[in-house]
Amino acid sequence: MTVPSNGGSRFVSRARRLALPGAAIAALTFLSSCAKDAPQDTFQPKGDNARNIDKLQRTPFYIAGAVFVVVFAVVMFCVFKFRDRGQKIPKQTHGKPALEIALTIVPALILVGIGIPTVKTLFMLAKTSDTQCVINVTGQQWWWEYDYPVQEGCGGITEPIVTSGEIVFPAKMNVLLKITSRDVIHSFWIPALNGKRDAVPGRVQTLRMEADHPGIYAGQCTEFCGLSHAYMRMDAVALDAAGFETWKTNQLAAYESPADGTAAKTGESTFLTQCSRCHQVNGLVNANGDPVISRPDQYVYSGAAPNLTNLMTRYDFAGASFDLITDDCRDKLWSAQPADFSALYLQGVTPECFDPVNLREWLRNAPGKKPMYADPAKLGPTDGKTRGMPNLNLTEDQIDQIISYLTERK
Amino acid sequence: MFTTGSKLFLGGTVLSLAATLVYGATEGGGPLGTIGLISVTLVFAFLTGINFWVRDSNVSSMDTAGIESSPAAHLAPGRSMWPMVAGAGAALLPVGLIVGFAITWLAVIVLMIAMVEWMVQAWSEGASSDPVYNLGIRRRILHPMELPVLGAVGLGLIIFSFSRIMLHVPAAAGAIIFGGIATGVVLFGSLIATKRTVARSLVVALCTVGAVGVVGAGVASAVAGGRHVAKHEIPSYAEGTCGADTSGEADDKSSRAIAAKSNLAATIILQNGKLRAEVIGVAGNPDAVTLPRSTDSFIRFKNLDNGKFRLVVNLGKEVVDPKAATLTYREVKECTQAVEEGGDQFIIIKPAAPSPRDPSAPDQYSFTVPGVDSAVLGIVVP
Repeated sequence: MTVPSNGGSRFVSRARRLALPGAAIAALTFLSSCAKDAPQDTFQPKGDNARNIDKLQRTPFYIAGAVFVVVFAVVMFCVFKFRDRGQKIPKQTHGKPALEIALTIVPALILVGIGIPTVKTLFMLAKTSDTQCVINVTGQQWWWEYDYPVQEGCGGITEPIVTSGEIVFPAKMNVLLKITSRDVIHSFWIPALNGKRDAVPGRVQTLRMEADHPGIYAGQCTEFCGLSHAYMRMDAVALDAAGFETWKTNQLAAYESPADGTAAKTGESTFLTQCSRCHQVNGLVNANGDPVISRPDQYVYSGAAPNLTNLMTRYDFAGASFDLITDDCRDKLWSAQPADFSALYLQGVTPECFDPVNLREWLRNAPGKKPMYADPAKLGPTDGKTRGMPNLNLTEDQIDQIISYLTERK
Repeated sequence: MFTTGSKLFLGGTVLSLAATLVYGATEGGGPLGTIGLISVTLVFAFLTGINFWVRDSNVSSMDTAGIESSPAAHLAPGRSMWPMVAGAGAALLPVGLIVGFAITWLAVIVLMIAMVEWMVQAWSEGASSDPVYNLGIRRRILHPMELPVLGAVGLGLIIFSFSRIMLHVPAAAGAIIFGGIATGVVLFGSLIATKRTVARSLVVALCTVGAVGVVGAGVASAVAGGRHVAKHEIPSYAEGTCGADTSGEADDKSSRAIAAKSNLAATIILQNGKLRAEVIGVAGNPDAVTLPRSTDSFIRFKNLDNGKFRLVVNLGKEVVDPKAATLTYREVKECTQAVEEGGDQFIIIKPAAPSPRDPSAPDQYSFTVPGVDSAVLGIVVP
């Protein structure tokens, strides 16, 4: 065994030991930037707004990179060139006005150079006057609700549409999101389409959105909002103009009650007794023929629960966290070409693609599948109201009935 | 002549005697308190005598030779206010126990401060035969505690006094006073900065006069009370004050907060007897305003018509008691205060249930203006 004879040898020995792991980490970091399957990559913009942000961040990134390289090179040069080898300490001087002025002016110029496009981009992203479609986005623990107000925009909406999980809008159209929250602060972010916007209770904040092509874009709540923050996801779905018209028509179609004698018909009754207090299904009537109006404000802290009128036109549920379709169908949808995407999406959850496992587990014990504050023993601070869906203690028969009913909600 | 210990108890005697007299005069000689305070006075007087007699137990009062040769005789202690302060604290303590908890806490704090200060002073004065050195070590120990506390108390007193002044004077005068004092401070500071030769005593005197002036004016303002602020009752449909009768209401100055203005769900405008809506991102004036359910929506009502009008928000009906055997319903309505021509008001609404989907159904959601039948605008809640 060789024992290092002095400090220099020890340093070299230690550097050699660290060289391999260091190189491995650096290579891993570098290679990870080449990943193609990165749906939340901010460096792959799919719309004008995200592209403006991308353009803005790239210039400072290059400048910062150049500054880093220069500074690092100079520092390393000085460290090795002038390291202590027992030589005399050089003559010490104090102050060098020309250098100091230059080192003040150059960063100031860089900041001005960055500041001008930054302000320009900020104004661009805050613009609302060119809006062609308005969608209200409301966050609550732990899902997003999207409602489309009555407007001439979005190709004309005469009756409000309410959905959740997937925000559907026309591609190549300037969409304005009006974002708020019903309980705590959340943050809405579809990285491929724009930056983040906080959803703050009592405030409405706007966010532009535009997609170049039909497709589906992943997002995630980016403000820690409680137990299931990680399960508060969202998908933005851009359809071509004709596809969006079809989607609107479908969302506003009249309610069709299941045929008598079917499992779905039994499921409708079960839904009425077990689910309709919180979940709205437009057009559903009770035994007296009166419209059933859900009142989640009486049971849920946020005062809302997802509208299930057209559940099977969506591909996931519970904050876009759990799929309603098989993995193969999901891969097919997510990898569809823009020209084919709208038609594929509008098929909804087909019997071939439907995978009831997640939905069944959810109905069996929702808080067991997605952590939520739904324990009655711990609901004192919320006046007995749950944060999220409680375990309804449904029987397996009831679960089957409800699933049968929900599969017809298209 | 008086020893340190006897000064403490003498102070306590005097203050408890004063407290006894004050208590007796104000409370009409209540027996329990008066007897208690007299007892305290007597105890303090007795302890004063004992300490005076035994010279704080340092030397015998009879041993005159000892007095002459003792260290205390050589190093005469400096003047100290802490025995007096400690006495005041001790006297306040029973007063607090009788009168109130706040005075008790004040007494405890005063006692603790006095004890600490007194102990450090007594220790430092015996540390060496050099009074300058002794004073120095006392400062080294106590100044890190004294200066921040005194600074905070002084600053708090100034701020509190200033706040009382600002609450007392009219709102418009407040801005002038604030600006005037700020200008004075800047000019005074500039003068000191430019005239380095200005006498320190002059600066201290001016600062003292200013501080005393502010505190004095603050005390006077606090005694006089705050200025009168007119309260405007919030109209309530349940109390029948959401109707066309707008007499007695004149609050045209709605919130100017940026938060309210930048957060609007819709601006509802009354003009030529009609209501129209402006919604961010929606071109033109929509026929109906869509508002989200179970979340706050900020609505701004602007009156451009001649007269005083209010906006009423009609949100259908709700069940009074969902658990009752027979369900009864009540109308859900909210309204703004009356607004003069050109004025505006905000209202926050939170619809709990969706609006009827059938346009012909009763209890449609809407904005209306009492007294102007033609002013109706629909509300849609999904």
